[in-house]
Amino acid sequence: MAIRHLPFLLCFPILLAALPGCGNLEKEIDLDLPTYTPQYVVECYLEPGEPFRLALSKSLPFFEPFPTDPSEFVSSILEDSADVVISHAGTDYPLQNGIDVASLLEKVKVYNYYSTEKVPLDYDQPFSLSIRTRSGDVINGSTRLLPPVPIDSVVVEFDLVRDTLARALTYITDDPNASNYYRRMYHMHSLDSIPDQDFVTNDDFVDDRILVFGSGYELKEGDTIYNTIFHIDRAYYDFWLSTFNAISSNGNPFGQPSGIQSNISGAIGIFTALQYERRMTVVGK
Amino acid sequence: MKQKDIPHSPAPIRIAAAFLLFLGCSLASAQPGSVTISGSVRDGDNGETLIGATILDLSTGIGTTTNEYGFYSLAVPAGLESRSLSFSYVGFQTQTVDFIPVRDTVLNITLGQGVQLYEVVVKANSFQEQMNTTEMSVEEISTREVKVIPALLGETDILKTIQLKPGIPSGSEGSTGLFVRGGGSDQNLIVLDEAVVYNANHLFGFFSTFNTDAVKDLKLYKGGFPAQYGGRLSSVIDVRMKDGNNQRIAGTGGIGLITSRLTLEGPIQKGKSSFIVSGRRTYADIITRQVNSANADKPDYNPIPDYYFYDFNAKANFTLGEKDRLFLSGYFGRDVFGFDGDFFDFGFFWGNATGTARWNHVFSPKLFHNLTLTYSDYNYNIESKVTGFSFNVGSDVSDLNLKSDFYLAYNNRHTLRFGWNTTRHSFGVGRLKAGSDDGTVSFSGGDDFTAYSFAAYFADEMSLGERWKLQTGLRLSAFANDGKFFSGIEPRLASLYRPRPDLSVKASYARMYQYLHLVSTSGIALPTDIWYPATRRIRPQYSDQLAIGWEKLLGDRFLLTNEYYMKWLSRQVDFVDGAQLFANSNLEEEFAVGNGHGYGMEWGVEKQEGKLKGWVGYTMAIIRRRDFQPVAEGRLFSGAGTTFFPRYDRRHDFSLVLMYDLHPRLTLSGTVVYGSGDRTWLPVGRFAFQDVYGADFQPVVPLYGERNAFRLPYFFRSDLGIVYKFFPKWGESDLTLSIFNLTNRRNAFFLFLEPQYAEGTDPAENPLAIPTGIAAKQVSLFPILGSLTWNFKF
Repeated sequence: MAIRHLPFLLCFPILLAALPGCGNLEKEIDLDLPTYTPQYVVECYLEPGEPFRLALSKSLPFFEPFPTDPSEFVSSILEDSADVVISHAGTDYPLQNGIDVASLLEKVKVYNYYSTEKVPLDYDQPFSLSIRTRSGDVINGSTRLLPPVPIDSVVVEFDLVRDTLARALTYITDDPNASNYYRRMYHMHSLDSIPDQDFVTNDDFVDDRILVFGSGYELKEGDTIYNTIFHIDRAYYDFWLSTFNAISSNGNPFGQPSGIQSNISGAIGIFTALQYERRMTVVGK
Repeated sequence: MKQKDIPHSPAPIRIAAAFLLFLGCSLASAQPGSVTISGSVRDGDNGETLIGATILDLSTGIGTTTNEYGFYSLAVPAGLESRSLSFSYVGFQTQTVDFIPVRDTVLNITLGQGVQLYEVVVKANSFQEQMNTTEMSVEEISTREVKVIPALLGETDILKTIQLKPGIPSGSEGSTGLFVRGGGSDQNLIVLDEAVVYNANHLFGFFSTFNTDAVKDLKLYKGGFPAQYGGRLSSVIDVRMKDGNNQRIAGTGGIGLITSRLTLEGPIQKGKSSFIVSGRRTYADIITRQVNSANADKPDYNPIPDYYFYDFNAKANFTLGEKDRLFLSGYFGRDVFGFDGDFFDFGFFWGNATGTARWNHVFSPKLFHNLTLTYSDYNYNIESKVTGFSFNVGSDVSDLNLKSDFYLAYNNRHTLRFGWNTTRHSFGVGRLKAGSDDGTVSFSGGDDFTAYSFAAYFADEMSLGERWKLQTGLRLSAFANDGKFFSGIEPRLASLYRPRPDLSVKASYARMYQYLHLVSTSGIALPTDIWYPATRRIRPQYSDQLAIGWEKLLGDRFLLTNEYYMKWLSRQVDFVDGAQLFANSNLEEEFAVGNGHGYGMEWGVEKQEGKLKGWVGYTMAIIRRRDFQPVAEGRLFSGAGTTFFPRYDRRHDFSLVLMYDLHPRLTLSGTVVYGSGDRTWLPVGRFAFQDVYGADFQPVVPLYGERNAFRLPYFFRSDLGIVYKFFPKWGESDLTLSIFNLTNRRNAFFLFLEPQYAEGTDPAENPLAIPTGIAAKQVSLFPILGSLTWNFKF
């Protein structure tokens, strides 16, 4: 290579060295969102043997400030003074307005309408919801109870190489004569913790009636795990999926944003009856 | 859902009948007392056919150009007087041949490259030739231009370079996706040596499948589609591989930041047959494997997954006599992403394969025939394995196509093209196989389709005096799938008026049918995007495009172009809210169908010769979608029945490309791109979702507003390239420096709205954590990036 090329060649490393080229690829920007009109939000899960409970709240503009105190946050979104009635098999169950303290203390869930009456176990008759808000808006919904799907077994398997770690395989049997939807929840240690797995699925691809849900090789001897299988209807499946699609597609350039698929008219939300089987297992060899 | 039916008849039939009657009358006048000069025009250095070379009868001023196979045919008056034909091609020395036209003559011409040390830009059409054809809305690019223009990480890419032309905006930053005149990324027919390439991308669209060393040129039609093309609504991208040097063994290659490549070509029988083989591979995985190996003993180390892609192109051509030539070519490329762990193995493989067998036969000096058999395949496969269980999901599409194309230079007033093609399409959509090794648990799913398409076409390019040209064409297409038969009548019309030698005015109309839909939700080319055939519920798309424009020569060196277009799109496919496209046994239920339109204006100024070359382009476009309804009852489509914008509704798009030969050894190049931001879909409201006992509390569930109602911030990028050449005894080499995003601007890739928490609060640890506020954030992909590539040629 001739010496006369040197000035040109020297340009390259100098230019390359001058390219720090990095820095933060994420930055905060100012964004104006259009005016948003709040909507009612309903969450009502009917569990046989448990009191009727319902949360009626409202949605807010996205940039609405958050109260710093949790109780202020809750009261800022709850919608009180509505007439709430759940009907089943010719009986009306009116729900009183007020915080269901038992639910708050036991399950850390806030319901601002509740009844001391228990949800009856009935797979045949539908449950219907009727709400008239203090401003006269009407919210309606309907649902049915599905029988629970039992957990056939929870099998703990230790890894053959590193026998200190195990996984849990949870088996259920699917009814091939119906389209079934499931919600699988899996907790390690405590039901009060954030679940390690929580998703909905269906039986579209099941060949031989058997479904299995597995954990990773993360369990140690003596660990306690909770497997919960909810047998859910299509409406709840769609609602849950659309809700988590909405959450996950905010910030995911590959995601497909979603409106919320609700099964009630006049509000966003879900009115559903839940049956589940939950099994606690202590990991042992 | 009720849809508007296509007006198949009687109007189109009347148009077709009138067209054939007109054609018959026109052809009735033959050209007595003439002889036909025919043959091919090639590059004398390597034997490559030259597409679009100009052949001019210097006595009459009548001329023609070589077709896409390098063949030409020109009628000249018979007589005993000597005549001269000139053969020219930009960047090559013009050759004049004298002859006495007493009988039909075959003249196979080779042109020598221009004697200059500066980089020669070879364009398929000179400005004059471009102005003299009815073709409009066409952009071309040669690999020589591509190699000089600065590129992301130094990886030159012909698809990204063509995006710098007016009217061809890309998808997201750095992506090879094309959104031509308001069309979707699936509405581009990409063919490599006439075989369809279904997913012309590597690495989520950041690189295309086309290895620049193996490609001869690329031609992109944005409108005014010739009748021989069909099957997609918005563009045709015709990529031709090099034929291979039939004079001597030669090679090209390069070592870059992310890939290395090598191409070898040479004669099989000198002057008659040749071959070319070309390969390219990334090598980041070689480094990451070493890093993984060095850290293998660290208990907390998470190994970096392997990723690489490679391409392999091969072609051979054989001259079987004066009238026959055979071409065999193929492409195979793969992306591989994999991870092998103690408990978990994962592999993700995707790629294209194409094969082309082409037989050119000259029936007579006027009649040229091309018979092509092509095979195309695209598939992806995801495999994972945990102890005792395996999971496998994939999709594929493959085509076997036979086509026959005739080119008849009937006389100097009529050039006819006619032909047919038939294709067998095989689709495997969402194939799933999963279960336990002992067989107690088993999942499977997916759909298989076999569909057939057929098309026949006829077109005539007519010279109507010195100033007018008219190209009329008709394409009949048909598609059968799912027990349903669809057909379409596709009229094509293009006209040229040259009131002055430096001015041409053009107009065109084309109807196109598309029988395949791409299932893709993002503007990014994902390997899991699925091709899905028209069915009873998802009927074929079609479009009508009207374009008018003019071209003006400014002096000898600049060409000014200006086009206006209107495009109406029918039966467009979009997706319902939250569409689940992966491993879905009811994929059709995720679709929504509606209409759309796009209109716009494109300006361009181009300079092809001299030390300074380049172009400036500006596009203004407005794109809308409307009347969408979900295919399946009960599914949600935000904005159903209303008008909304697609993501790629980019109002303004400006590009500047300059290449300057500063010194025989040194070429500088620069690009500047400005565009309005793409549209995006953002939440406007939120609600708190507490869920059932045991589930995670969600204080912020986004409620999305109108579909794609927001615009990202404007896009701006400037790049710089420096090519320094060496001329060693064994050939030629250069060092190419590319500086991508010279101003280090952070262009928005996407936006998101993120809940903010008090310092020390981790929502993953605290299920009841309440945000303190929401922040709007922008994510960018590329800062300023420099790369150095060494290229060589011998």
